Amino acid sequence: MRCSKRCDGVPRRSFVRVGGLSALGLGLGDLFRLQRANSSSPLSNQGSAAKAKSCILIWLDGGASHLDTFDPKPQAPTEVRGPFGSVETSLPGVRISEHLPKTGQMMDNLALIRSVTSPFGVHNFAVQYLMTGYKPTPALEYPSIASVVAHLKTQGGILPSNIAIPHLTSRDVATIGNGFLPNDTKHFSLGSDPGKASYKVRDLDFYRGLDISRLDRRRQIVNAMNEYGKLKSQAGGVNDPDLERAYNLIASTEAKAAFDLGNESTEMRGQYGIDPRANLGDSNNIGQQCLLARRLVERGVPFVTVNNVGWDNHLDLQTYANRHPGDSRSAPHSLIPGLDKALSALISDLSTRGMLDETLVLVMTDFGRTPKINSTGGRDHWPNCFSVAMAGGGVQCGQVIGASDDLGEFVTDRPITPGDLSATIYTLLGIDPGHELKTPDGRPIQVAPPASKVIKELIA
Amino acid sequence: MDTPPTGTPSKTSGDEPIDFKNDLIPMFTKLGCNAGKCHGSAIGRGGFKLSLYGGTPEADYDEIVRKLGGRRVNLVDPASSLVFLKPAEIVEHGGGAVIVDDDLNAQTLTKWIAQGARYIENRQLIRVDVTPNRYIASGIADETPLKVIAHYDDGVSRDVTYLTKFVAEDPSAVQLGSNPITAQGMRAGRHIIIARYSTEVIPIELIVPHLKPVRQLVSEPRHNFIDEEVFASLSDLRLPVSPNIPDHDFMRRVALDLTGRMPAYQRVEDEPPMDREAVIDGLLASEEFIEFYTLKFAELLRVQSKGDKNTVTTTPQAARGFHNWLAEQLRNGVGYDQIAREIITATGDTTHYGPATFYTAVEDARLQTEFATEVFLGSRMKCANCHNHPLDHWTQDDFHGLTAIFAKLTRSKVIRLNPVGKNIHPATGKAALMKIPGGDFLPIETKDGRGALAEWLTDRKNPYFAKAIVNRLWKSLMGRGLVEPVDDFRATNPATHPALLDRLADDFVQHGYDMRHTLKVIAMSSSYGRSSLPVDGNESDNRFYSHMVQKPLSPEVLADAISDVLGVASRYGDEAFGTRAVSLRDGAIQSESLDVLGRCDRTKSCEGTPSPIGPLAQKLHLLNGNLLNARIGAPSGRLERLIQSKNPPLTIVRVFYEYALNRPPNENEVAALKRWIDPDKPADQQRDALEDFVWSIVTCNEFITNH
Repeated sequence: MRCSKRCDGVPRRSFVRVGGLSALGLGLGDLFRLQRANSSSPLSNQGSAAKAKSCILIWLDGGASHLDTFDPKPQAPTEVRGPFGSVETSLPGVRISEHLPKTGQMMDNLALIRSVTSPFGVHNFAVQYLMTGYKPTPALEYPSIASVVAHLKTQGGILPSNIAIPHLTSRDVATIGNGFLPNDTKHFSLGSDPGKASYKVRDLDFYRGLDISRLDRRRQIVNAMNEYGKLKSQAGGVNDPDLERAYNLIASTEAKAAFDLGNESTEMRGQYGIDPRANLGDSNNIGQQCLLARRLVERGVPFVTVNNVGWDNHLDLQTYANRHPGDSRSAPHSLIPGLDKALSALISDLSTRGMLDETLVLVMTDFGRTPKINSTGGRDHWPNCFSVAMAGGGVQCGQVIGASDDLGEFVTDRPITPGDLSATIYTLLGIDPGHELKTPDGRPIQVAPPASKVIKELIA
Repeated sequence: MDTPPTGTPSKTSGDEPIDFKNDLIPMFTKLGCNAGKCHGSAIGRGGFKLSLYGGTPEADYDEIVRKLGGRRVNLVDPASSLVFLKPAEIVEHGGGAVIVDDDLNAQTLTKWIAQGARYIENRQLIRVDVTPNRYIASGIADETPLKVIAHYDDGVSRDVTYLTKFVAEDPSAVQLGSNPITAQGMRAGRHIIIARYSTEVIPIELIVPHLKPVRQLVSEPRHNFIDEEVFASLSDLRLPVSPNIPDHDFMRRVALDLTGRMPAYQRVEDEPPMDREAVIDGLLASEEFIEFYTLKFAELLRVQSKGDKNTVTTTPQAARGFHNWLAEQLRNGVGYDQIAREIITATGDTTHYGPATFYTAVEDARLQTEFATEVFLGSRMKCANCHNHPLDHWTQDDFHGLTAIFAKLTRSKVIRLNPVGKNIHPATGKAALMKIPGGDFLPIETKDGRGALAEWLTDRKNPYFAKAIVNRLWKSLMGRGLVEPVDDFRATNPATHPALLDRLADDFVQHGYDMRHTLKVIAMSSSYGRSSLPVDGNESDNRFYSHMVQKPLSPEVLADAISDVLGVASRYGDEAFGTRAVSLRDGAIQSESLDVLGRCDRTKSCEGTPSPIGPLAQKLHLLNGNLLNARIGAPSGRLERLIQSKNPPLTIVRVFYEYALNRPPNENEVAALKRWIDPDKPADQQRDALEDFVWSIVTCNEFITNH
């Protein structure tokens, strides 16, 4: 275990936006709107070895307890062990939470990292570090890994390259986005939850009385007005790229169908989790969210984030495994069991379709939770040591990397920083972690921090 | 004063014993031992716990010398002390080797032990001077030595450069040399280095000018002290300025900034030269100004009703009452100090007494501390909940002492004193004593500490209060705070123009905390009147005001502007039809369109947080949503009325240009529009094309921006 000498490097909750975003998507940043960096090839020398074409990030929003999911401590005293037991997995000697039995049976398809460590115990900094790979700094807003992947691996299709279901994160960390990269790499939030019966992606269908020729004319007129008016489009006099993307998406029936879960069988929907059409009340929506993520990567979307909310639980730990408040039905679909069902269904579905090798599946979170249970029966924020799970996409599966101490407090073996995670994720996706992007003022920025190291044993 | 050369440990008077607090603790900080990731963590590391950045030296001394049965120090053989063996990595150390054999740090440490490992505090630190604390380099890679002098209460001053930790805010822009300690800027711009010695943190400004020769700034007009300061920093950086805008454009800019409304159109040739001062005075005296700035304060104060799902509820009457009260203060020109005093000390029924609603915005006393300091000090105290703030001077006692004051209140429909309310200090496990932040504990018998708090807050000498508000006023006109984010004032986040911020705050206090006065001073400056279009050489500037920041219209202003142009109001919740978005008196009033445009949701600070709706989702809504589509062709709308009055198509186009952009269309625009709109065909036969034109004018860049 090493702790870096630079561990007090001035973190700050201050973000000078280089790429601005206004009420209508136009801001100062448009002045500097970047064209796609087309310098050197982003693909690493071993690019041909990288298998993953797309990535599904299952984000456990708020900080999931490592002790109650992937790193249980059955030998620890009660106040650390918590209320849950643990189960054997398909990997001899490796135990995970008793509420993750299906995942446990697939452990040979997963790799666990139990030694992730970060200095940030508040949500905004923590999420920024994990989602960008860089420690937050006021000097520059880094793009999320999702935006970088969208930037470098876009297929130029009509579907957005970076989709968040239903949102990227809670509002607290709304500063995470495309940073200095172009707007088209920013996550597109559906704004509607596929786990709900009312699910419908906002504003994809025509307003009554309108058709595609009308929208076409509108976009032509506004482009002309921007060109001849006082404030030209700053993207080099061409059409407003955001408007073009919106228009193209609306115009494509095929693209719109990608979002339609009605095309999936009832059986398939049931495998992932609670089918909202079964009208079982408030449910944990992670299952349908993961199913939609699979539909999207199947259609070539490079990065999809599933944001599963509710993990920031400082109170009673039991609620992690219980049903949601107000839900009297019998199906167990709260946080941990919901994750179990969705994750195991996703991996086996991808595998059945022959897509697992080319789809990197990540389970990540803000930070872990305090090993010692607090006075209200919950756990607080704990960034010093927590777990991440990976599957598919060229991951060397069936292994546990790193370890925490007997209480899950600190890393005892193989400390992994969020920067290392980012370098590894990029490598798995065939992107050289040292590939340089350019900021609007010409600064070269490597996609992963220069000091980060790829977790070599994770690369199959 | 005998000052040894930079880069060597300092001595004061010959063989004075090593000072635990002034020598050893800063050394631990510099080496990173007491950082949050190492032994400074809340539960320590590897069984050894130091206070974060040496915040409590007495506890650290206890930990080093007494804990672990005293095994950490060996007075007989200092070099076999655990506190030496570990950082030298002679025995296994998770943090690796942080001191080497007999380097200066190792010498200091072993010498201290040899001297008896005593708690010696030879003197108290008064202040620290860093030279230079502002350096204008001759060019890229110009290297300057850094020197830190500590001044103590016994008159001693000494060089502590070697005991100071330096961190560049942007490591790719600044190279720090270690022997001797130097800094070099590697890119043009203004870079910040944070120097930390003991409890002091000092920002160092390193300015690397742009290389292009620029037009002289001397001849540029200077209207008041703002321009002096803005030009001073522009000339240091050698940034050229954009030209000033004509009266016509100024009118649109200042009307939007002060009233949230576009001005009525006037033909350019009809306009006499503008008396800008009279225009600004007129706007500041208007009811629209009150409406618009009440909205800004209502967002800042998170005024909205909250129902039974919340731990603490706010009734719609209470939310509206607070909104109305704020408007009343602005209408009467009440000083900001007086407004703050009334809010802080508010007690009573929230239904009838607006400011009491301040105490139902958040769930508990600790959140109230975070909320109140964010609003009135522009400061984020959250870190100090669990430990002394690592980047600022707030201590855990400050946080919990302030919370103890707020804990004496009931948080319900009626705000009243609760004599048994208390706040448990996490460090002691006992009820925290009431305390003024950065100041004294209140007498133990104090029943309501808010009077003392308000007095301290609004004291002319309070270093944060006036700056926090003038910085927000500055941002509302200039597009960027001098300190950004505006709720993150701290020692390690210096203003871009520190002297300007001081002068604005002094001027504000001298003028009775009059917000209209400060807004007028800003609006009258030549810096405010600069074009938003960059010129050659200042394109990349986004914080030194070489050209005006292009400000997107806020969601409420844009929604109202759209309604004005379309000639059809929007409905907000159950409010009377025609109610303007800026005048909504409760943030909880439903409106999908305001949500899509990205309005502040008033449950957290919205400052510095961009709209969570992405650009693609917004464009989809403009194309397919009801924000525009439901109203463009409405029978009562402007377009339909113009068509009904048999106006020719190009007249309709001109009218919309005048309403939306305050100007007639230019020749190129008319020529381009003729592609879709036939001037010879009656308007009622090309309704669709005209609708599509109207859609376009309220979504074009020029309309949605204050430029």
